[in-house]
Amino acid sequence: MKTYVAQRLGIAVLTLLGMSVVIFVLLRLAPGDIVDILFSTAGFVDPGARTEIMRELGLDRPLWVQYLEWLRQILSGDLGKSYRYDLPAWEVIRPLIPVTVELAVLSTLIAVLLGVPTGVVSAVRQDTTLDYVLRVVSLAGLSMPSFWLGMVIILGLVAWLGWIPPMTYVRPTENFRLHAVQFLLPALAVGYRSSALIMRITRSSLLEVLREDYVRTAWAKGQRGRVVIWRHALKNAILPVVTVIGIEFAFLIGGLVVTETVFNLPGVARFLVQAILWRDYPIVQNLVMFIAIIVILSNLLVDLLYGVLDPRVRYGR
Amino acid sequence: MRRFRILTVMGGLMLAALVVASTPVAGQAPRPGGTLNVMLREDLPQGFAIHETATISTVFPASPCFNNLVYFDPLKPVESPDTIIGELAEKWSWQDNYRNLIFFLRKDVKWHDGKPFTSKDVKFTFDMLREASDAPAKLRINPRKDWYANVEAIEAADAHTVVFRLKRPQPSLLTMLASGYTPIYAAHVPPASYRTGCIGTGPFKLKEWRKGEFVEFVKNPDYFVKGRPYLDGLRYVVIQERGTRTAALQAGQLDVAFPGETTKTTAEQLKKAVPQLVAAPVGTAVSDNIIMNVKKPPFDNVKVRLAVSYAIDRRGLIQAVHQGGAFLAGSLPSRPFGIWGLLEKDLTALPGYGKLEDMKARAKKVLAEAGITPQNPLRVEMVTRAIAIYVDMASFVINELKQVGIEATLKQIETAQWHAMATRGDYQIGANLTGLGVDDPDANFYENYGCASPRNYSQYCSEQVTTMIDQQSQELDPKKRLALVHAIQKRLEEDAARPILDYRLDYFTVWPHVKNMIPHHNIYNFGRMQEVWRDK
Repeated sequence: MKTYVAQRLGIAVLTLLGMSVVIFVLLRLAPGDIVDILFSTAGFVDPGARTEIMRELGLDRPLWVQYLEWLRQILSGDLGKSYRYDLPAWEVIRPLIPVTVELAVLSTLIAVLLGVPTGVVSAVRQDTTLDYVLRVVSLAGLSMPSFWLGMVIILGLVAWLGWIPPMTYVRPTENFRLHAVQFLLPALAVGYRSSALIMRITRSSLLEVLREDYVRTAWAKGQRGRVVIWRHALKNAILPVVTVIGIEFAFLIGGLVVTETVFNLPGVARFLVQAILWRDYPIVQNLVMFIAIIVILSNLLVDLLYGVLDPRVRYGR
Repeated sequence: MRRFRILTVMGGLMLAALVVASTPVAGQAPRPGGTLNVMLREDLPQGFAIHETATISTVFPASPCFNNLVYFDPLKPVESPDTIIGELAEKWSWQDNYRNLIFFLRKDVKWHDGKPFTSKDVKFTFDMLREASDAPAKLRINPRKDWYANVEAIEAADAHTVVFRLKRPQPSLLTMLASGYTPIYAAHVPPASYRTGCIGTGPFKLKEWRKGEFVEFVKNPDYFVKGRPYLDGLRYVVIQERGTRTAALQAGQLDVAFPGETTKTTAEQLKKAVPQLVAAPVGTAVSDNIIMNVKKPPFDNVKVRLAVSYAIDRRGLIQAVHQGGAFLAGSLPSRPFGIWGLLEKDLTALPGYGKLEDMKARAKKVLAEAGITPQNPLRVEMVTRAIAIYVDMASFVINELKQVGIEATLKQIETAQWHAMATRGDYQIGANLTGLGVDDPDANFYENYGCASPRNYSQYCSEQVTTMIDQQSQELDPKKRLALVHAIQKRLEEDAARPILDYRLDYFTVWPHVKNMIPHHNIYNFGRMQEVWRDK
C-alpha cells in the first residue's frame, strides 16, 4: 500500500512538473502581456515606459530563466509577486481558496445527498411513474447549465421576493447565518447538476448489480429488501459512483467560474479568469498549479477508496 | 432631427427630475451618518493611482480619498469654467494676461497620515506629471503628460502659494486641473504606493481594500471642510456580472449605480420593477467613433474616409444600438450634455448627418470617384475590441458600409492588444469608443488629434488644424474661442479624421434616499462624495 501511494505521489510530482511547463508556455503564447494591459487602462502605449516596466517585472529576461525562477520560488515557498496588485501572490491567493473549497465541498455534499438516494429509488422502482419522474428531473439537471440556474435563482428571488443573497462575501466569522445563506443557493445550483449525473450513474450501476447472482441469492435467502439493496447491492454498485464524485469534485474546483461570478463569490475560479485577462502570470501559474494538485489528490483518494470499498482491489500485496 | 430635439428636451427634463429627486427639498437639512453602498464593475485597476490610469474603474472609487486644487461643483451637472470651485486652493488668480496662474492654498489641510499639506505637494505632483527634468519622482505610466505641455515651471512661492508659469496663455489649464484625473499626491509618499493604498487629503480615508470584493472608506474626521462629509463611510462593492449587479441595485443592496453603466433599456426595466428608483439620462462624454488609418491605403484617400462617414446612419445607430440612449455631436459633446459641441444646425451640413438617402448617394459618389464601384468593391477588415458595446456598434457599421459597396469583415481584438494595436496604427479601419477626461477642447484636441499624440489612433495630422488648435487654446475671448472650436470640429468631420457617430447617454440610477448624488455630463468628475447624504 505504502509503495503504491509513493508511486502515485512520484507520478503526481512528474505530472505537476509537466503541467508547470504547459501552463508557463501557454500563458506566454497568449497575445499581449501585463504591460499591454497596463497601457490599455491608460489608453496609449509609451515604448520607453514599456521597456522599463518589463525590466521592473523581470519580463525582459529569457523565458527559461523566468521559468526556472518560478520553480525556485515554489520550492522555496515563495509564490512571487502579483503584477496587478503589487503584493505577494500568496497574500492575494490565500483568501480565495477557502471560498472555492467550501463551495465545491458543499455542492458535492448536496449532489451526493440528492443523487445517491434518488438513483437507488429509481433503480429499485425501475419503469414505474416515480422512476420516470426522477429520470426527467435528472435529465433536466444535466441539460441545465448551473450558471443559468444560478441566474434564474437570483433574478427569481429579486422578482418574487425583492431579495437576493448578500452580494459581498460574508465570512463565517462575521455572520454565520448570512454566510450559510450566501453559499446555499450557489451550492444548490451546482449540486443539482452534479446530483443528476450521480443519480444516473447510481441507477445504471445498481440495475446491473441487482441482476447479479449473489443478489438473487440474497433475495432467495429471504433477506429484507433494505438489507439486500443498501448492504449487498449498493456497496458493489458504488464504485463507479465514487469515481464520478471524485471527478466532479476536482472539476468543480476549477470549473466554478461562472457560478462564482453570478453569485459574486471571491473564489479561485473567478479570480483565475480575471488574472488570465490581466496576464498576471504569477497568480495564474500558481492558481492553476493549485487546481492541478487538487485534481491529482482527488484521483489518488478515489483510487485508495477503491481498495477500501472493494475487497477485490488491494494495493501492494 | 425632430426626434433628436425631443430627446434633448426630454433629457433636460429627466435630468432636472433627477436633480430635484436627489437634492434636499426646501428646509430639509442634510442628515449626517450612514454608509453608502456603491456599485463597482471591476476591481480597481492600478489601485488608487489615478495619475497612472485612464479608466473610470479607478478614478471613480479612488476620488473620495483625494482633493484637487480645484474641482467641478459636485452639485451642478453641467461642467464648465463657471462651475469650478476651490478645493485645496482657497482662491486663484490669472496674471500677466493668462501667462501665470497663482493658487492660494488652504492652510488647514492635513494628509490622512497627519502630515500638513503645503505647496511642496502641489509642485511635487505637477513636476512629476509634466516630467520636469528635476522632478523628484516619476510615474510608471503617464497618460496625461500632454495636458501640462504648456507649463514652463511651477514655483512654490511660500508654503501656501503656488504659481504655474505658462509658455503661452492657456485658459483651459484651470479646467484640466478641475478634472477627476488631477488629484494632488503627497510629496512624502512614493507614487507607487498609490497602487496598493491611498494617503490623500480627501473627505474619506481608506479603511480596507479586499481584492476582488470591496473597497471601504471611512469619514475623514480632520477634513478641512467643516461638517463634511455627511456620510460615515463608503463601500464600493465589486460585482463583475452585469445582471447580478443590476439585481443587487434593484434589491437595495446597492444604493448607487456605476457611472456610464446603465443603458436606457436597463433603466427602464429597473424603473418598471422598482418605480421609486431615480434614473435620468446624463451625458458621459464617451463617443462612438470610427478610426481609419490615414497613413495606409485605402484610407489615406480622404474620399474613401468620407464615404465611410457618409455611409453611416447615425440616427439609425442611436435607435438600433442604444435604443435612443445617445445623442448626435461632433468631436465635443453638445448642449445640454456639453458646452463646446456643434449645434444641430451645424451638424446637418456635415458628412453623415444629413438626410439618409442623400448621404448614401454621396457615399457611393465619392467611392466611385476613388475608383470603388459595386463591380469593384472595397474589402477591408474592421477591428474592434472584443467587448459587447464595441461589437454591437461595429456590426451596425459593417451593415451600413455594405450598402454603399464597402465589404468589411469584423475582427475582434482582445483588450490586452487593443491600445497597442491602435497606437502603432496596425489596422485599416476600426470601431472605437473615446472617453474625454474633461469636456474641454485642449484636453480633447491635443490628445486625439495632435500629430504626435499616442492616442491619435488615426494618425491624422493637419498643419492647418494644428494651428487652429493652438489658436483656440490661447484665445482669451470665450466667444471667439467657441467659434474657433466649432470651426475645428467642422474641419475634423469634413476631413473624416475620426468620424464621430454619437455620444452615449448614461441612465444613472440611485435610490431616492440618496441625496446630493448629482451625476455630471462627464463620468470622471463627480466621484468625491463629499456632499452626498442618506435620507434614511
